[in-house]
Amino acid sequence: MILRLLPCFLLICMLSFMTSCSQDSEPVFKEYRSVYKIGDQQQWAGKSWNDDNWIKRRMAYVADGKVFWSRTPIDILKAPESTQPYGLRLEAYGEYEIFWDGVLIGKNGNPGQEAHLPPEGKLWATFSLPKHLTNKGRHLLALRLSNYYFPDHVGSYRIEVADYEELVTDRLFETSYTHIFAGAFLMASLYFLFLFFSNKKEYPILIVSASCFLFFTLTMTRFVRMAAPIHYKWHVLRLEVISSLMFGISFLIPLFLSLQFPFPKRKLFLSIYAGILLYFFIANHHYFGFSIYRMVVALWFFSLGIALFGAFKRVKGALLMVLILLLCLGLQNTVSLSISLYVGFSLMLLGILYLVFLRTKAQRLAYDNSLVQSTRLRLELLKKNIQPHFLMNTLTSLIDWIEESPKKGVRFIEALAKEFDLFNRIESKSLIPIAQEIEICRNHMEIMGFRKEVNYFWEEEGLDIEDEIPPGILHTLLENGITHSMAGDDNSIRFKLVYHANTNFRSYTFLTFAGGMRPETGAREEGTGFKYIKARLRESYQDKWDFTSEPTAEGWKSTIKIYF
Amino acid sequence: MRILIVEDESRIAKRIEGMTRNIIGDRLQSLKRIDTLQEALEFIETNPLDLVLLDLNLNGHNGFELLGTAVSKPFHTIIISAYKDQAITAFEYGVLDFVPKPFNQDRLALAFKRVTTEILPENKKTKFLAIRKKGRVVLVSVEDVLYVKGAGSYTELFLSEGRKELHDKSLEKLEQLLAPSFERIHKSYLVKLSEISNITVASGSRYMAELRNGESIPIGRTKYKDLKAKWL
Repeated sequence: MILRLLPCFLLICMLSFMTSCSQDSEPVFKEYRSVYKIGDQQQWAGKSWNDDNWIKRRMAYVADGKVFWSRTPIDILKAPESTQPYGLRLEAYGEYEIFWDGVLIGKNGNPGQEAHLPPEGKLWATFSLPKHLTNKGRHLLALRLSNYYFPDHVGSYRIEVADYEELVTDRLFETSYTHIFAGAFLMASLYFLFLFFSNKKEYPILIVSASCFLFFTLTMTRFVRMAAPIHYKWHVLRLEVISSLMFGISFLIPLFLSLQFPFPKRKLFLSIYAGILLYFFIANHHYFGFSIYRMVVALWFFSLGIALFGAFKRVKGALLMVLILLLCLGLQNTVSLSISLYVGFSLMLLGILYLVFLRTKAQRLAYDNSLVQSTRLRLELLKKNIQPHFLMNTLTSLIDWIEESPKKGVRFIEALAKEFDLFNRIESKSLIPIAQEIEICRNHMEIMGFRKEVNYFWEEEGLDIEDEIPPGILHTLLENGITHSMAGDDNSIRFKLVYHANTNFRSYTFLTFAGGMRPETGAREEGTGFKYIKARLRESYQDKWDFTSEPTAEGWKSTIKIYF
Repeated sequence: MRILIVEDESRIAKRIEGMTRNIIGDRLQSLKRIDTLQEALEFIETNPLDLVLLDLNLNGHNGFELLGTAVSKPFHTIIISAYKDQAITAFEYGVLDFVPKPFNQDRLALAFKRVTTEILPENKKTKFLAIRKKGRVVLVSVEDVLYVKGAGSYTELFLSEGRKELHDKSLEKLEQLLAPSFERIHKSYLVKLSEISNITVASGSRYMAELRNGESIPIGRTKYKDLKAKWL
């Protein structure tokens, strides 16, 4: 249910997110180059103060959290409506007091006292502008700052003048959407985590869970500024976190895809990719935007390569993934990195959800199939004793024995009873001790001895009695041996079971020594017996086995190899 | 009576042999036991026989291959099998009886009785007649057979659309298998009752049966009354 609803939900969120991001209206201000000066004079806030001799560039370094000033001329291009005053949003490193045309309009922390006082203020702050100071024309923004924590990040501002209410609320809208996103991904992450716990072999599910969680954390970290005030001191740490999360996501998504669409030399390619990512992550590390951009581009291209290979191999879902990735690449070139990243990831995770859905479906079908197969094998094992050929021929012989020699008849009945009992004990198992299987074979030989009046002998060599094998497979080989071979001159047929084990595999060789094979034996196709043996081996050992069967000079030889 | 027993279970083969000797007694001319398909096929080709007792599952092989050959031969075939579900198919092939395992002497005696009984009760099961054509056994649908003409030890099958085939079984044996939808109207003719369109008297008070396809077949004097009653 979650799987089906989640994509729709995410799509709606994404569209809302995109529309909210695209609400850019005409700017109402124009910002000019800032000038700087170390020192502290109240008059520097004045609009008409002559700052010709101030430093025209951003200062490289202001040590010890010393107070300095900056002055930024700003043109208001359009006066505000009478009922809707303007506000000013400022993103600036440092604690500061802010002046607009010489008037103090706000305070963010304690400039000049940072070394003594605990960090105060926030990186993103919005101030209202006095209505009478926002006429059309030139204005002056003056800041009295100190930058104790990042003395080399002086004068890095982002200024925005707009309708005050809009400035206060627009990021709330943005944040509310992204929180919905984050919540959805958190739920998806938990859902897949529990799914993984229910089947701990399913690492791809764990990878998806981790990707969802990283994406949730990324969203929360990126938009935490609205939920909690962040002091500028923590900003780099936040960027480090975002960049690291990106690194994780950029690796996990292709890793998942590589499991979904396997390709040759996977480990090698993944290592190379991880190396490239690591390079992007480390080189120019503090240009966070740039390294994130490079990692994202690497992610899109590598993923696209994997998906294309999958599509080439006609793996289900690969084509959808190719389309999504092409869309992501398209977005990358048309909208801002931030939007393309969020929209792209959402699309990507939608695609991954679909792949997980396909995967779960395929697994469920395979599981259902294996249940049916196990039941069928169980029935086939049970049928060995009630199929008419065995049962009716046995009963007919039995009647004859009773008529001729009641004592032997009783022994025959006892052997038959034992055969039924042995089969009852193993019928529900997929592996049984070799000793039990041999007991079944010996007993079956006794019954067939009564029926065919041939002397059957059993030999074994090098057996490990602790070993387990699927039930009924040696019995099937014995049945075949009895049916298809002719007794020798001494009216006997010998069977021999040889066990061999080394570090790669263990093997059972079942040999029949007889007077000869029945003439029709050579042309026989693969009978139900062989199919049963192969199905049992597949059930217990998947593909790690071999079964061969061939005539020999003295009879027949069947070999079962089980690889470790 | 010359009998062949084809059975791969030694104990059962011996049992059949013992019972056969008890039932047939002095009338038994020869009896042979064979336990492989190959040997059985060879033996059938080279030895004259009156009856074959056949197990349908020989050493894991389906005995229908042998059955096709057997029923095309002059002798009758009785199936002794563990697979009761194959009885209907066996009868369609034209076997005389199907004895399910396990069996006793009474049941086997009943089967032997059919060999000597002229007309078998409730025997409408034969659907095919196996004929040998160019060394292969071909099944002819009984529905296509209009009448059968005796020709010594073998017979001629007259089929729809003017086709004609030879069969190795005698007229008497086919009569046993095809009755009661076929009637012996003459010592040399066995006709499907539903094919007779009219009964006429020809010159010399010879009775003739006119068939739907226009052919006329003589009716034996002794058979006329019986046939008329059945046909009407």
